Amino acid sequence: MLLWIGLILLVIIVVILLLIFFGYYNRIIRLENRIDNSWAQIDVQLKRRADLIPNLMETVKGYMTHEKEVLENVTKARSALMSAKTPQENVDADNMLTGALKSLFAVAENYPDLKANQNFLNLQDELTNTENKVSYARQHYNDSVLVYNNIVETIPGKWFAGMMNKKTRDMLQIPEADREVPKVKF
Amino acid sequence: MEKKLIVEDQIQKNKRKTIVICGLMALLFIGIVFSVGFILFSGNIYISLAFALPVAVGYVAITYSISVPAILSAAKARPANPQNREEKLLIHRVEEMSIASGLPMPKVYVQESPYINAFATGKDPEHSVVCATTGAIRKLNQEELGGVIAHEMSHIKNYDIRLMTVTIAVVGAISLIAEILFWSMFWGGAGHSRGKGEGQVILIAIAIIFAILAPIFARLTYLAISRRREYLADSTGAYLSRNPEGLAKALEKIRDDHIKEKPKGSKTVAPLYISNPFKSQAAAGKGSIWSTHPPLDERIKRLRSM
Repeated sequence: MLLWIGLILLVIIVVILLLIFFGYYNRIIRLENRIDNSWAQIDVQLKRRADLIPNLMETVKGYMTHEKEVLENVTKARSALMSAKTPQENVDADNMLTGALKSLFAVAENYPDLKANQNFLNLQDELTNTENKVSYARQHYNDSVLVYNNIVETIPGKWFAGMMNKKTRDMLQIPEADREVPKVKF
Repeated sequence: MEKKLIVEDQIQKNKRKTIVICGLMALLFIGIVFSVGFILFSGNIYISLAFALPVAVGYVAITYSISVPAILSAAKARPANPQNREEKLLIHRVEEMSIASGLPMPKVYVQESPYINAFATGKDPEHSVVCATTGAIRKLNQEELGGVIAHEMSHIKNYDIRLMTVTIAVVGAISLIAEILFWSMFWGGAGHSRGKGEGQVILIAIAIIFAILAPIFARLTYLAISRRREYLADSTGAYLSRNPEGLAKALEKIRDDHIKEKPKGSKTVAPLYISNPFKSQAAAGKGSIWSTHPPLDERIKRLRSM
């Protein structure tokens, strides 16, 4: 009689442990997928930004004929972004492009005809939107990594993570974009 | 890093308090079931449960099938037009919050109204809608609009729409059960437990008082949950946008918005809005236990302390 009770109890305990394991296994996988998804999202937004640049160049070219350096900086930064291979190169090139675009838009303030150009306004809106999206995609990536790391580093998650051979992930380190207001010659 | 922790603590605090308040609601429901048992079925809980549970489940199921089209047409909302710059910028802000929160992109609607306001609805994140008034997109700058949208997306993320719908259904069920109780007493009398002595009469009296008060307490509890979820949406929104000041400024503008126009639609949608549109602007600054939303002044203060 006692043996039966003991056996049933054992089965119940094993089932509960299995359920807990399944729960953590699935949670860890889901969190990993969320991280990968947000990483892909960053790339999507960066590519979109790079795609907007040629159109922008075409629009401003006719107006800003004396601003060769500013325009060249944007084109150079875009090429660097397209050819970036490592994540760090990516972040550096992206930073460069953000700075170059800031200068361009600051200079554009001196060209009222350009500012009234509908195409230019649209592109400005789109570029702001895309830059915000890059920023939020990186934020979401770091938020996802934080949630994942919390599970993988705390008990009992760390035991299950060890079984699945899952390690903590690194967050993205984004260097502060150049905050200095670009100096514009009149 | 320090700032983020404070916001996260606020989020945890709000979630804990919701559980406490929902527990209170559950107690009220159990209480009314017991009261029915005492008064109608001489203390037999199982009969009264068998009667009360289907009522509650039925009520919840009916209210659970939220009709988004009905809410949208009652508010006279239309899809946002990307050809219009202000509405295009609204869509941009929603896209950005969708990325920040990891939620699927909701449908974006616009409601014609000079008031600054916004609401979110939909039965789950995959079927959600965010709507802002024309007043909001014209009077708020992009930082403030971003804060408002972050708040609304937070409601979607936290499943507040589902929570409030189920809660209002439980409140309705409690009120319905109390009413049925009184009607049956009126017609049939509480005579099932005759001659059981004074103790029984006192219990019946307590049960009757409880049945009168339960619907009122249920309503107050519902309003407390609504206010708690508003604070939670404020803190989650601040975390998502990493900019509590944006929403704080928007709430200030809402508080100082002085137009007297009667808003359209049923009052049950009030908790979906960022600020109760059915209240005068002066009243919205302060609050009471009868408010769906916490006082604007307090919300602004909490956001600025993050």
